[in-house]
Amino acid sequence: MIFRTPMEGIDHPEMEADVVIVGGGPAGMACALRLSQLIDAHNTAHPGAELSKENIYVLEKGREIGQHCLSGALLDPRSMNELLPGWRDEAPIEAEVSSDSLYYMTRKSAFKAPITPPPMQDHGNYVISINRFAKWLGAKVEETGITIFSGFAGSELLYDGERVAGVRTDDKGVDKSNQPKGNFEPGYDLKSKITILAEGSRGSLTKQLTGKLGLCKDRNPMTYGVGVKELWELPAGRVKPGEVIYTMGYPLTTREYGGAWIYGGKDNTVSLGFVTGLDYPDPRTDPQHVLQSFKQHPFVAKLLEGGKMVRYGAKTMPYGGWWSMPPLGGDGWMIVGDSAGFLNSQRLKGIHLAIKSGMLAAETAFESLISGDSSASQLGTLQQKVDASWIRQELFPVRNFHQGFEHGFLSGMLNTGLLMATGGHGLRDRYPAHSGHERMLPLWDIMGHGGEREQLLGWAKGDGKLTFDKLTDLYHSGTRHEEDQPAHLVIHDTNICATRCAQEFGNPCQFFCPANVYEMEEASDAPNGRRIHLNPSNCVHCKTCDIMDPYQIITWVPPEGGGGPSYEGM
Amino acid sequence: MKILVCMKQVPQKDAPLKLNESATWVREDVGYEVNEPDAYALEEALRQKEKNGGEVVVITAGPARAQQVLREALAKGADRAIHLEDDRFVTLDAFNIARAFAEAIKDEAFDLILTGLQSDDFGYAQTGVLLAELKGWAHATIIMHIEGKDGGIRVKRELESGFFQFVDMPLPSVLTIQSGINKLRYATLIGIKQAKNKPLRKVSFDEVASALRPNQLTIERLYVPKKTKQTEVIQGSAQDVAKKLVAKLRDEMRVL
Repeated sequence: MIFRTPMEGIDHPEMEADVVIVGGGPAGMACALRLSQLIDAHNTAHPGAELSKENIYVLEKGREIGQHCLSGALLDPRSMNELLPGWRDEAPIEAEVSSDSLYYMTRKSAFKAPITPPPMQDHGNYVISINRFAKWLGAKVEETGITIFSGFAGSELLYDGERVAGVRTDDKGVDKSNQPKGNFEPGYDLKSKITILAEGSRGSLTKQLTGKLGLCKDRNPMTYGVGVKELWELPAGRVKPGEVIYTMGYPLTTREYGGAWIYGGKDNTVSLGFVTGLDYPDPRTDPQHVLQSFKQHPFVAKLLEGGKMVRYGAKTMPYGGWWSMPPLGGDGWMIVGDSAGFLNSQRLKGIHLAIKSGMLAAETAFESLISGDSSASQLGTLQQKVDASWIRQELFPVRNFHQGFEHGFLSGMLNTGLLMATGGHGLRDRYPAHSGHERMLPLWDIMGHGGEREQLLGWAKGDGKLTFDKLTDLYHSGTRHEEDQPAHLVIHDTNICATRCAQEFGNPCQFFCPANVYEMEEASDAPNGRRIHLNPSNCVHCKTCDIMDPYQIITWVPPEGGGGPSYEGM
Repeated sequence: MKILVCMKQVPQKDAPLKLNESATWVREDVGYEVNEPDAYALEEALRQKEKNGGEVVVITAGPARAQQVLREALAKGADRAIHLEDDRFVTLDAFNIARAFAEAIKDEAFDLILTGLQSDDFGYAQTGVLLAELKGWAHATIIMHIEGKDGGIRVKRELESGFFQFVDMPLPSVLTIQSGINKLRYATLIGIKQAKNKPLRKVSFDEVASALRPNQLTIERLYVPKKTKQTEVIQGSAQDVAKKLVAKLRDEMRVL
């Protein structure tokens, strides 16, 4: 198996840039729009000393903006009201939230909470398709004169010592054995004064940067969940537009963290999905199976009866919270949105925070363009801007929310009550946390645990109507890649897969990957009779493998730009 | 050589499609991409220009979203673009699309018009041929190779079962290009940036309406075929299974 690695001895064409934003999601788009607004205002006020947008670029690995965006999604309008007053009249909105409810599920029943807990009340929020929303923002950015390079991934950061000096885009036309094809195009070196990482959850460049500079040593490790989503079309009147339902409990047990959402959109579409915390103990847990079992619960099955699944996708979300966020700015770089963990895990919302963080980064970048200083002393002020904004007011009080669930559901609920009573402080100001993969138990420790958890474990079979096997679901993600290219799931030591991992954890990659990328194939010459086989073309870019692999030997790097899922309407 | 390339935006291949309300076409909320053979036609035009000099112009008809196809073509090296922009172009049959194209380029003098062999969505394979008819030019289809010869061109056509045909053509001509004639290039960052400043002429529906005639072809109904395939598993010992299989192939399928 040959993995995608930087090619040696290649000349890379160079392009000068003032600002490069990596990632065309809500954070990146808001950043570009805000920067353009500031430049426009400056240029009007200072004729003769205009700033140009000519050399401001956005890189987006999807074939077009929005293609890789996946979320529930509920939008808290706070930051949009600041960014584009009047946005409601032209933005694609599915529905304004009309009702919200929370259910606790047992195997057979669903108990409705008498009142929805305040953090989960959603009046004034909007059900949106994040794909359509990002696409709309993208068109706005195009109008400003800022150039979006869609179909181009940021594959490496360029350094000048410890200073980030820009981004290298992906090499195109590289074959399976890492050799150039006839139409090879080397990646560009975008030499940028300011590089803003807006890559989304578990960004690959963000991971490179924080690793190289050791940025997260004094932070809590980031923790994640993976959201597996299906879009359904239901018979008219089943779920009202703007109806919001959250559930806790079944199919998860008290030892896993997570829950489901059901959002009513327009035209009888319903977004439903299940977030499984990537800190579960049983290595056979399969998040796609969790969603299928959830749909089989009588409460949900009745809702979906006679409907049709139209689209599928999966994406991780960072919910480690305040103590696990990396530093936000340094020499030549800033980090925004999900890449930095701007997400409120108690409210299950992050889009408004991603947008706001992008706007604050734009303000920081603008000051830098004026002063000519893009060092840490300038770009590091993003942290102060965040601290002075409502982001901190929202995130700091819930700083210990997720850590409270490390010891299971019940102590988590008790802790939530305690935190709410003490303004988020609880028993100490900073609760520690552990990386989710460290909590996975070896096979010998989970023997006999299967019984109450069989609905989570192993592959879902699927009946083709209500439930689906992984490949059927995957087909509905519209995922496509150039087939003749090296594997972009870089496994640093495949021997571990066949030896230690097979014995200790039973190769959990086969189960946690929601896109069937990882398979163990029969091989008589392999130590335990089986060897890892990859289907990189299936990858939906969710990053679960990079996060949850117990040996941390998988690194997700971007495949050839343009490849990936097609989350139309998701 | 001045070359026109006709391009079309089609629903993304392998995208799960949904029928529209009247079941006459698919719903808009799918991903779109360049029609595959059109991408090869563009690549061939760019290669001819690199060899012989000249100009490459791209044209498409469709809603605002179809502009993406033109922008990608400009980014890869086309010199300018023409967009017949209106939702109504989606409902025209191939003859009317050819009429609209002919009307939009009536003041231009092209040496060569290239189209893809057929579209991935309708698959009529007619637009190029009808455009040649309207212009009164020669045409050839399923082209696998183009080279200059005695002031005209010689083309290689793909026939059935591995046979090819070589045809000498005058200029101007219309050629419909087969996928795989060349290897597609990637757009580059500098190409994308330069494309922003290349001319893109928009043509309204009204500007070409006088050239259109009533559609001769309309889609009555679109439906998803019912699966009629049945799988039968024959069980038993290998000998039994073989016997039963032979009996089925002989008596039911009648293929032996």
